[in-house]
Amino acid sequence: MSLGALAAAIAVGLGALGAGVGNGLIVSKTVEGVARQPELRGQLQTIMFIGIGLVEAIPIIGVVIALMVMGR
Amino acid sequence: MNETSAPIIEGLFGIPWLSVNLANVLMIIVTFIVVLVLSILGARNLQMKPTGVQVVMEMILDFVKGIINDTMDWKTGRLFLPLAITLFLFILVGNTLGVITTIIVNDQVWWTSPTADPVITLTLSTTIILLSHYYGLKLRGTKHYFKSYITPVWYLFPIKLVEEFANTLTLGLRLFGNIFAGGVLLTLLVQLTKSGILGFIGGAVPFIVWQGFSIFIGAIQAFIFTMLSMVYISHKVSDH
Repeated sequence: MSLGALAAAIAVGLGALGAGVGNGLIVSKTVEGVARQPELRGQLQTIMFIGIGLVEAIPIIGVVIALMVMGR
Repeated sequence: MNETSAPIIEGLFGIPWLSVNLANVLMIIVTFIVVLVLSILGARNLQMKPTGVQVVMEMILDFVKGIINDTMDWKTGRLFLPLAITLFLFILVGNTLGVITTIIVNDQVWWTSPTADPVITLTLSTTIILLSHYYGLKLRGTKHYFKSYITPVWYLFPIKLVEEFANTLTLGLRLFGNIFAGGVLLTLLVQLTKSGILGFIGGAVPFIVWQGFSIFIGAIQAFIFTMLSMVYISHKVSDH
């Protein structure tokens, strides 16, 4: 088993864990906020997308690194 | 996955370290032509009750104006409206062009998203950060600019320096990572559907779903890039 494949798997796995937990927290708070004040749904949705984009940046960079080292 | 290479000219004009990826040149020209045609179609024969492409252009304009308004007051913000619209439309069209088709000629990838290359996205983000420094100096003066590094506490100065570099890197690499990973997965799914009848049945629906998701992600990343650019500019140009 080549070390490149192992490194790629660890990078993507841990990145997915972080992204999953982070996104879950963001969306759950957004749902709670919309449930409290339904008239703010549009603004809260916008903020949610911004938060998801920011949180997913580092795990996506991890995926790119994994694709780069996968072949070695 | 069979190795595809990029059509890179090494040593352009005889300068040894200057290399150009011709696919990027082609795709930037195509993106620019698409945005130009869209904008011209949307802005000619302006009517008070808009129909057709003018509705789309006005929606995009209002959307970007909302982005700028969220971060700074309109009096300073109106200066950056053309920059924000250009950024938004270029990144949106650039992201979408790579999802629809990918053209490979003689083992060289010629048609793909221009933003799937880290060089282009890092160039965009470096330009934005340099522009924010330039406008900070121009609109607020040098004294305020240098003072902003030592407020509120002076020992945060190295952190503020690192923040500039971190902003540049994450702004560019976020866009690159999202679009590049989407493109690689698209290539893998195409190879799955090509490998026999079972692969075709298993891979057809995920392929279509992934294409739709990639268009969605492209739009979101364009929005986030534009919004973060405006946030970084507003940090230098106006008080928070």
